Amino acid sequence: MDEITRASQVSRREVLKKGLLGAAGLTVLPTVIAACSSAAATPVVTAAPVVTPVPGVSVTPAPVVTPKGLTGTVSLGSNYSDAIPKKAMQDMADAFTKKTTVAVTVNTVDHGTFQNQITSYLGGKPEDVFTWFSGFRMRFFAKQGYALAIDDVWTTLKSNYSDAFKVGSTGDDGHQYFVPIYNYPWAVFYRKSLFADKGYKVPATMDDFKALCKQMQTDKLTPIAFADKDGWPAMGTFDILNLRLNGYQFHVDLMAGKEKWTDAKVIAVFNLWKDLMPYHQTGAAGRIWQDAAQALVKKTAGMYLLGMFVSQQFKAVDDATLADLDFFPFPSLGNAFDAEKALDAPIDGFMIAAKSPAGQAGGEQDNARAFVGFLGTGAAQDIYVAADPSNVAAAKDADTTKYNALQQKAVTLIGAAQKITQFMDRDTRPDFAGANGMQNFILKFISNPSQDLTAFTQSIQKFWDSLPPAS
Amino acid sequence: MTTVTAVTPETKPVRSRRRPIQWGNIGVHAFLITMAVVWLFPVLWAFYIALRSFADTTLNGYVAFPSSLTLDNFFNAWTQGDLARNYIQTLAVVIPGVILTLLIASMVAYACSRYSWRFNRLILMVFVAGNLLPQQVIIVPLYQLYLALPLPKAVSDTGVLYDQLIGILLIHIVFQMGFCIFVLSNYMKTLSKELTEAGLVDGASVLRIWWSIILPLCRPALAALATLEFTFIYNDFFWALLLIEKGAKRPITSALNNLQGQFFTDFNLLAACSVLVAIPTIVVYVVLQKQFIRGLTLGSTKG
Repeated sequence: MDEITRASQVSRREVLKKGLLGAAGLTVLPTVIAACSSAAATPVVTAAPVVTPVPGVSVTPAPVVTPKGLTGTVSLGSNYSDAIPKKAMQDMADAFTKKTTVAVTVNTVDHGTFQNQITSYLGGKPEDVFTWFSGFRMRFFAKQGYALAIDDVWTTLKSNYSDAFKVGSTGDDGHQYFVPIYNYPWAVFYRKSLFADKGYKVPATMDDFKALCKQMQTDKLTPIAFADKDGWPAMGTFDILNLRLNGYQFHVDLMAGKEKWTDAKVIAVFNLWKDLMPYHQTGAAGRIWQDAAQALVKKTAGMYLLGMFVSQQFKAVDDATLADLDFFPFPSLGNAFDAEKALDAPIDGFMIAAKSPAGQAGGEQDNARAFVGFLGTGAAQDIYVAADPSNVAAAKDADTTKYNALQQKAVTLIGAAQKITQFMDRDTRPDFAGANGMQNFILKFISNPSQDLTAFTQSIQKFWDSLPPAS
Repeated sequence: MTTVTAVTPETKPVRSRRRPIQWGNIGVHAFLITMAVVWLFPVLWAFYIALRSFADTTLNGYVAFPSSLTLDNFFNAWTQGDLARNYIQTLAVVIPGVILTLLIASMVAYACSRYSWRFNRLILMVFVAGNLLPQQVIIVPLYQLYLALPLPKAVSDTGVLYDQLIGILLIHIVFQMGFCIFVLSNYMKTLSKELTEAGLVDGASVLRIWWSIILPLCRPALAALATLEFTFIYNDFFWALLLIEKGAKRPITSALNNLQGQFFTDFNLLAACSVLVAIPTIVVYVVLQKQFIRGLTLGSTKG
């Protein structure tokens, strides 16, 4: 509205009549643009000056601080903005205050904005501790010097986490930068009542899986609910197919650019996906995941491969519907990688911002370290996963007895996995995963699975090669 | 019809003399009704979704008769979106923003359109040219500028202009001025010279003429601009996104985002919140719609 009105105002006869005005506009504009161009040429997210890590501050661990004797405050930048997570986050902060008397000020910013602005946020005036994700996204900011190494915190936390979590918290330089709070598995979700009514069995192998899909089709059901309007949900399908077919190491190397997308192994993944595509809900490119999940709720679709956050939708309907939700791991393919039982189980957690008050030497740094140390305990994580049961706590000493059936099963599933990945958009560089990259390529594949896959994978590799070196 | 009967009061009304059906008129009305429905549909639809529970729309679909209607979503949106605080905070930017913009813009417009001095044309051009500048072009330097500009701790808890409501207020004034000056200067040019000359003869100062003669005469233009500016500034999300860091200081437009989770979003709740957030602009528009429409055509025929 704003722009339209102005544009029409400016193009009116008045301007033409005065002539000069338009000319002035044209002469002024280039100057203004030129003045900004050097900065404007870089993406907005990298607008903030890159912080040079101060070796003494960001790498050398400070002495371990016991919670006793802490004073002052610590601040938390949180993107847990919707009601339930927001309250859970506040409750954790309050628990810390109760334990240490250090007051926590929470700055909650909505999820999308927080993520879009993360670079300018971390380069501007960030809070001491901020919520973030494991994976490439974590290592990237660690490498940029935006986060403090917290090896000292990890000396205490080490015994409380499995190795997978420690790996997920470690930067490229071998130091720890991240404290996991929870994760959730990606698996095939279904409704117990539907399977019971129709006499379906949970498939263990790909052959069983395909047979079940066929059976569902004869029963007039959509076998696999599917949505990819936002670009990311279908990445989960690629991840699991690649993990099953080519194994963890190949997948990780592919995400890191060490393997080529033109590899016959990648083409095999897309071919397998193509075989399964007739069982998927059609029109995925225009559907958001919640609408696909709705098909599962309404029992018009039989299964849905998604993260456990799908249970939030069931919970929002009512508790009985949530109790009817169950999942099984994606079927194995009968190859050498069956034993890995690998899956996407993205980890969320916390980091300390280098440009925050805690990033500088002083008392607040001790507070921030104590705070993330506290968040790494079961006592803190119990509070969170009780409020939002679509996740399971990351710490070993978390109380799992109060978990619901889904959470119990998730613990088993994740525990059984030898290898855990974070999800494509967390495991590879953001510009590659983004709207111009894999999001776009996967949408293209979904719209036409029978296209020439050699040319298709070449276009992906070409895109990877066109990216600037990752900083 | 009344005129027809008035012309022939004595004669028996003849059926054949009834006004013929005006197909053109019907066409126009059909078109207008269609357009009104098309424009109202999304608003009414949002309202309808807001009245239904999430479970209802999930189980029965969005296009369905409701199993029950409830106002719960509105109450939840009010508390979860923290709307009371959001309304107050946003109005604390919008109201001074509109007043200051109009005051300053009218001064510039007055000086540039009613007086002839060396650079009056040029100054006007610069302001109008500012209208052509997309906001996005200057975000990087502006962001750095806000981070670097110190403010006393008494005014700013961060010590800089960044993350302050006053910073948002200032940038709104700056960016809205170009448009207001353009409209006001055109309007002022149409006022007769004799009025201000009379003031001059009576010994009124420049400021006095501006305040006592020009501003009252500009009332229609000011009213129209106030309506437009209220909508512009109220609806703005861009500057707050860029220049405010604390979630709690962001304006009402961000309340909607706060209702969306990392993955899951209750769209019924979101619809309720959208309806609530839209109310002030709708109220302003309905109350001042005459000025609003006049505002859209202001300056288009003047000159």
